[in-house]
Amino acid sequence: MNRFFTALVAAATLWIAACSNGGSTITPPPPSGKYSTSSLNGTYAFVTSGEAITSGAAAATPFSRTGSFTANGSGVIQGGVYDLVNAGGSSTASSAPIPIMGGSYTVNADGRGTLTFNVTSNGTPATINFAIVLTSTSGGFMMDQTGSANQASTGSGNFVLQNSSAFAAGVSGSYVFDFTGVNSNTAPESLVGRFAASGGVITSGLEDSNDNGTLNSGASITGTFVADPANTTAGRGLATIEGQTYAFYIVDSSRVRFISINSTSSGPMLTGDAVAQSGGTPPPSPSGSFVFLVSGSSANGGLTRVGRLTVSGSALSNLIMDVNNGGTQSEFGSGSLSMGAISYDPTTGRGTLSFQSSVVNVYSFVFYLSSPSSGVIQEVSGTPGTGIATVVADGSIATQSGSPFTSSNISGPYAMSWSGLVTSGGSFGSQDEEDLLGQANISNLSLSGTSDIFQFTGVTLNTNIGTTGQISIAGDGTSNNTMNVNLSQVTPIHMVVYIANPQLAFFANRDNNGAMRIVAGVLEAQQ
Amino acid sequence: MKSTIRPLLLTVIFAGSLTFSLAASAQKAMPSDEQLLRTYNANREISLVGTVIKYETNSATPPIGAHLTIQTASGPVDVHVGNAKVVQAGRLTLNPGDNVRVVGEPMALGEGTYFAARIVQKGTLAVAVRNARGLPLTPASALTPAAREALRGVR
Repeated sequence: MNRFFTALVAAATLWIAACSNGGSTITPPPPSGKYSTSSLNGTYAFVTSGEAITSGAAAATPFSRTGSFTANGSGVIQGGVYDLVNAGGSSTASSAPIPIMGGSYTVNADGRGTLTFNVTSNGTPATINFAIVLTSTSGGFMMDQTGSANQASTGSGNFVLQNSSAFAAGVSGSYVFDFTGVNSNTAPESLVGRFAASGGVITSGLEDSNDNGTLNSGASITGTFVADPANTTAGRGLATIEGQTYAFYIVDSSRVRFISINSTSSGPMLTGDAVAQSGGTPPPSPSGSFVFLVSGSSANGGLTRVGRLTVSGSALSNLIMDVNNGGTQSEFGSGSLSMGAISYDPTTGRGTLSFQSSVVNVYSFVFYLSSPSSGVIQEVSGTPGTGIATVVADGSIATQSGSPFTSSNISGPYAMSWSGLVTSGGSFGSQDEEDLLGQANISNLSLSGTSDIFQFTGVTLNTNIGTTGQISIAGDGTSNNTMNVNLSQVTPIHMVVYIANPQLAFFANRDNNGAMRIVAGVLEAQQ
Repeated sequence: MKSTIRPLLLTVIFAGSLTFSLAASAQKAMPSDEQLLRTYNANREISLVGTVIKYETNSATPPIGAHLTIQTASGPVDVHVGNAKVVQAGRLTLNPGDNVRVVGEPMALGEGTYFAARIVQKGTLAVAVRNARGLPLTPASALTPAAREALRGVR
């Protein structure tokens, strides 16, 4: 019996050891909602990033998948393809994405379900398994929960309904992108930028790269895009951007998904989306209130920063932020962050912003807006003028709208996804990836639902975990909100939550209650 | 005051062992040195020599990961060695009483200070646990050729 099967069978026991000091038993509520098998119907582009461990390996390796699958609305996966890349560079070949030869799926009334791809591995049949939660019939969140003879893998991601009518136009227009992962030496890397494409080439573009702390700011980029004639139904193509080859999957006219692929075993592992700019090309200067979330690495280990700010001209105000740096959490409340400043180039959509908590703690970011209400953001904090950042982190920025946030508008069914690091005890306690995917109904700011969680500290998958929680909203809800998440038999997990709008919130853990962890995630209303 | 702190740090670098209390140095640090303590710089690395008091693969003390407490001439020092699986992949075992040498530098985190190890050495075996920028290595950095080959089967 292979170690993975053993681990999965023993999951219930390990769950207690790995994560819990107790916690009440929570019975999952019966699924309720408007979803069914027919809700997943069409061709979807998906991405997951996480870790895999192979039989006999001492430790897991980061890896990512990006691809396309077709669901028939009746529980059958009719096919698809995907590309994958591992930390260290080995990947699918540019001409040979991995075929999905079939599969199956389920969707419960609450939008939760399972997704199975039939593939071959080393010449033998294998299956890749995911948990899914629909946020609408056009997409949702997914979590890798594969445990087979060849591999166990986890990871978080999402899937979006593709519009095949957009495939013929190729990658065309003005896009903002965020590619993140690790470089060929497995050190963290982040690329954010903007490009305009026409006729299969990048006609203009620039990017900010943070490669293991080395910054290259606002550099011009070149690139090409070529459709893959063998996989037209998947919207697949190949891109070369600044010398790096990517496979891409066109979602629709507004989004393209990218994954790096390498002709040799050495190369970066990068994935991300390019989102068409809207509301102006580029969008006008940012104004109003924004929330942001970045995650990545620092010398202390994992890093999350989640916060909010108000933009007025070149000034920032109402700054607050919660940081988890290597397991040490810091709350920067009202008045503790100052010297906020923002600049924006209306010709490119590139901006910078900074603020500080003290003379020595200056937080600097670069961002690109894909619309007046959203964009990508990369942290570039470091000693000014050195071109070196002390962290490698990126994420999203989104306007805050729809406040005041109250129990009246933060209500109804939501999908919840988080990813990050968790620690475990035992004879060889360690840190490793944790992914959670759940669904909960929120009523009177109380959560009630069901989750799956995969902790790679012990390759421990637990499914259908009863989940409750409580959101505490302060004032008008634009700041200082918390969310306690209770998973059955697990010590409550304490989060801080920043609400972008009643349909979307960013969150991260705010202490180490129960276990040291560094996780961040998203709450998204189900439509 | 700033100039008196910096030479002390440099002196320690060349001495090859930590001869001051990390906590004390953090308390004395002027702003520029606080900045230094939040930025890993390989040019500031120093070498600690001591005896292992305790090795925890998963410490409850931040930063997240493995911590090594070693007894130096000036007292015990908390050394963060990153991901325990990297240490394990390097076939380095750490037990109380072992004599070790650690290359790295003091770092500030929250209100405290710890020693960030880049290299841990016992006898002739030295294992890198951080890269030159101070970012903790992941087990992926220590993949053997066989493990890399096995990844080709991952789907």
